Amino acid sequence: MPLRRHTPEQEDHGIDLAPMLDFVLNLLIFFIITTSFVKEAGVVVTRPGATTAEQRESGNILIAIRENGEVWMDRRQMDMRTLRPALERLHIERPDDTVVIIADKASQAGVVAQVMDEVTKAGIKEVSIAAAPEATG
Amino acid sequence: MRLHRHTAETHEQSHGIDLAPMLDFVLNLLIFFIIIAVFVKESSLMVNRPTGEQATQSESTSIPIQILANSEIWIEGRAVDLRAVRANVERMYAVNPKSGVLIIADREAPTGLLVQVVDQVHLGNVYNITFSTAE
Repeated sequence: MPLRRHTPEQEDHGIDLAPMLDFVLNLLIFFIITTSFVKEAGVVVTRPGATTAEQRESGNILIAIRENGEVWMDRRQMDMRTLRPALERLHIERPDDTVVIIADKASQAGVVAQVMDEVTKAGIKEVSIAAAPEATG
Repeated sequence: MRLHRHTAETHEQSHGIDLAPMLDFVLNLLIFFIIIAVFVKESSLMVNRPTGEQATQSESTSIPIQILANSEIWIEGRAVDLRAVRANVERMYAVNPKSGVLIIADREAPTGLLVQVVDQVHLGNVYNITFSTAE
């Protein structure tokens, strides 16, 4: 029976898909594992520069603070009062998440402090302030 | 020929499953995950916020740096330049190596300056920074 299968008439009918399938499944697993589901802020702000800024892998909730004090998270403008429930919801979904606050150079430090407080009250332990890396000088 | 294959070779049909629909599905999943994957890597600085119990016990061992609304930096009652922050912090840290830095910023102080001060303190090898605000 196996001999019959290998007759040239049938050989050109279909390619052996198994190795390709293996490869594609591996790719799929790779992408599933590396996906971090970053919640982007949705606005462009000019980051302050710092020479000692470190790259963090796991900063996945980004909160932007604009020059005029507007707070943006997950592509929506947030009020200081709606920030905490939203953060709590995200924290329940993914308990190991961290927050990066992207504050504009000219934004007020008071707003940054308020946002940091809301984040810690929502139960997220790790908060950091984004900075654009600069050359050491 | 088609008919012939479907009738005479039924015992062959059961031999292998048809992988094509599964492959389609898996490829779709793959494309979905490739599109979803955002490789965002923010570089950032870690700063603490004062908590209730910290405020009472670490007051004596912290180096206070004040940032005013008009972008002046005050350390130990003197206005200092941004470039002098590092030297000041290094000196005070050498006196008491257990101390951390407490940055007291005015609510209206620009965040850019705050980050620059944090950066300078980091350059002075102090990483225990607490950020608090004052009126």
